[in-house]
Amino acid sequence: MASFGAEAVARSHEENLIRPLTAFRPKLFIGSLVTGAVMALLFYSWGYQIFNDIGVAGINRPVFWGFYITNFVFWIGISHAGTLISAILRVTQAEWRRPVTRCAEAITTFALMIGGLFPLIHLGRPWVFWYMVPIPTYRGIWPNFSSPLMWDILAITTYLTGSLLYLYLPLIPDMAILRDRALKENPKTPRALFFRIMAIGWRGTLQQWHSLEAGIKAMAVIIIPVAVSVHTIVSWDFAMAVQPMWHSTIFGPYFVVGAIYSGVAVLMVAMYLLRKGLNIGEYLSDKVFNNLGLLFLAFAMMWGYFTFAEHLTVWYGNEHIERLVFDERIWGRFSPFFWTMMFTNVLVPLAILPWPKGRSPLGTAIVGFSVLIGMWIERYLIVVGTLSFPRLDYTVGSYAPSWVEMGIFVGSIGMFAFLYFSFVQTTPIVSIWEVREGHHLEVKAQRQALAAAREEP
Amino acid sequence: MTRWGMVIDTDRCTGCGACVVACHAENNIQTVGEEEAGRGRAMHWIRIERYYEGEFPDIKVRFQPVMCQQCGHAPCEPVCPVYATYHTPEGLNAMVYARCIGTRYCANNCPYTVRFFNWFSPEFPQPLERQLNPSVSVRSAGIMEKCTFCVQRIHDAQDVAKDEEREVRDGEVRTACSQSCPAEAIVFGDLDDPDSRVSELGERARAMHLLEELSTEPSVIYLRGGR
Amino acid sequence: MSERIHAAFVSPYDVRDALDRLEQDGVSTDDIEVRSSAPLDHDVFPKRHGVHSRMPWMALTGAVLGGTGLFSLVAWSATIYPLPTGGQPLIAIPPTGVVTFEGVALGAILFTVATVLYECGLPGLWSAGTGPLDHHLADDHVLVTVKCDEGASMDWAAKALETARE
Repeated sequence: MASFGAEAVARSHEENLIRPLTAFRPKLFIGSLVTGAVMALLFYSWGYQIFNDIGVAGINRPVFWGFYITNFVFWIGISHAGTLISAILRVTQAEWRRPVTRCAEAITTFALMIGGLFPLIHLGRPWVFWYMVPIPTYRGIWPNFSSPLMWDILAITTYLTGSLLYLYLPLIPDMAILRDRALKENPKTPRALFFRIMAIGWRGTLQQWHSLEAGIKAMAVIIIPVAVSVHTIVSWDFAMAVQPMWHSTIFGPYFVVGAIYSGVAVLMVAMYLLRKGLNIGEYLSDKVFNNLGLLFLAFAMMWGYFTFAEHLTVWYGNEHIERLVFDERIWGRFSPFFWTMMFTNVLVPLAILPWPKGRSPLGTAIVGFSVLIGMWIERYLIVVGTLSFPRLDYTVGSYAPSWVEMGIFVGSIGMFAFLYFSFVQTTPIVSIWEVREGHHLEVKAQRQALAAAREEP
Repeated sequence: MTRWGMVIDTDRCTGCGACVVACHAENNIQTVGEEEAGRGRAMHWIRIERYYEGEFPDIKVRFQPVMCQQCGHAPCEPVCPVYATYHTPEGLNAMVYARCIGTRYCANNCPYTVRFFNWFSPEFPQPLERQLNPSVSVRSAGIMEKCTFCVQRIHDAQDVAKDEEREVRDGEVRTACSQSCPAEAIVFGDLDDPDSRVSELGERARAMHLLEELSTEPSVIYLRGGR
Repeated sequence: MSERIHAAFVSPYDVRDALDRLEQDGVSTDDIEVRSSAPLDHDVFPKRHGVHSRMPWMALTGAVLGGTGLFSLVAWSATIYPLPTGGQPLIAIPPTGVVTFEGVALGAILFTVATVLYECGLPGLWSAGTGPLDHHLADDHVLVTVKCDEGASMDWAAKALETARE
């Protein structure tokens, strides 16, 4: 009865997944409290800024955009972890994707929510942000769809809608599993009610599975170009402007690669922490880390290539105004940032990831953390590095963030962690049904192998 | 059709700064104070850029008054998500304060760095608020602003001309900077009228645009300073 | 009078055998409902239950509608309230193309999800999950429910399911 033994092991693994959802876990609760407190910093600082006007931030003339836009690009970049990676793995039917998709998609959704907050935070008059929404009113206010910021709004709305639904669709059957368990144990608990609502009456019939799988497939195909368009459009916020080292055709693909790069980085860190904290190493196995580590390595090289290409063309073109920004970045005022970025984004990954031992959970998490720092610096260099040097020399500027900008930045990290803690406590972080499906497929392959062996003389 | 334009003769400019003061008074521009100015938040719709040539003591100072160039193909206009800045039929690069939500994208995309943001609401301590120009709105925090070519004066002149059933005469509209310039370095008028002074001056060999390579088609023409 | 027989199976292959026998006994596929907590492989269940999905076509419809919708909105609003900017034409095709693409994607996403919900009959009954054997679903078992309206058919259905269970 070996198969029953395997079943029992699979069940106990599932219990590890379900435990945070059914029992009080003090560590997770404390984690929520702490991160919630850090998140409060964001709203306190933002409230302070709204009441005391945008001038409490450190931005000035000519550096009209600073930390806020840096963080905007950073978080939107991180949002490319999940949905895009999970969609690519689904479309290519990579079997090892099964434990990864859910925690990756959650990263996307939460990072997008936070990223989408920053353009609002950075507005001079955030209370009239709805001027950008096409609502026909008597005031005759209508958005200008030629503005890259409108593209941003459309793209982020589309991506957020898509990622939320793409996260939710595969969640329905899992919620139904949890509902069925909860109803059997005690139908009166709030948890049972929550699962019942979230499962929206899923019953698991053949027709439902068929439609759901068709829907997930379609979503995976749609969401890939959407994700690419989102970060391309974010890059076009810069590339559409005539400013030196912004006005570049390479920005679209460069940003997309950078976004996926930082997204994988967060995924590596998050997966490492989940594996440690929730004891689910059977799902987030060494193999998963190894495979994602290889993907990570590929993106490290692609990002390095794009960075080289961008800087080479500027240096070779040798236009006065572009060289001004370039020189300050490579040798001048911004060089400490630039070389730190090269260290964290190129040297560290290339030193660790090529070795099989480097692609261990800890190794990839270290590289992930390093790349996160580097990718944040990259966005800071692009935003502040260019804006500090306008075309007319007379208006050269400088920038230092105020405590408000720092608080909002730190708070946004807290918010991400808080949302993730909440998610872990309400949702199985590994898709139960997808893992079960993988298990069924394995059984089927075994049976076929067995049958083939029997037929042979 | 009218196309408002300006000619600035850098040979005549003495860098006295009268235009800057006049502009502040005419357009209710806030003075931000020492500390804010030190953080790069000074607001002068027109500024006089000083450039030094040569080594001390054989040094030459050149002045270049710079304000919004009212570009024909303005980079600031299409990037605004709410049409807070757009192109009027008379060639002005208009700023609609009530629409502005403060994305500051226009300012980033302005190669001349002549757009100014209200980081805080303006304060006009007693009795300064009595000198506010009633024809110009006072801008609150979170709003972009810039040189308007004294659009209120243009409208006044057009009103008078309409009442008298005639066209606006050349020289009838004078911007605050042009009116206050003791050296008469700044001339304002209609570039579409071939007989206007700006048209005549703009055709001189010394005429040039700032950052001409960007083909923003500015309405401000500079007359190159003699060597 | 209509009654239902429920049976829980551990292996999908047993379900297949049971369904074969039910078919031999002439039970209409409309009266059989197979439910599971993970999708069952198509090899195990060839398309005997007439499941269908209009998915790619509905997504495509949404894409076309979303794209034309957003393009029309942009073009129409630019024409009725013309505000020229930056020397660009009122309906500038390159930027409008970006907008149209997002409309295509948004339309496709919304139609896909709407189609999934419609075809699955979701949001469904509040009673879902309260069936007599439903907790077996949570344990990765397969549930087969047969609807029958006479005592006789109840007999053979019970027999068939029992044989299948072995």
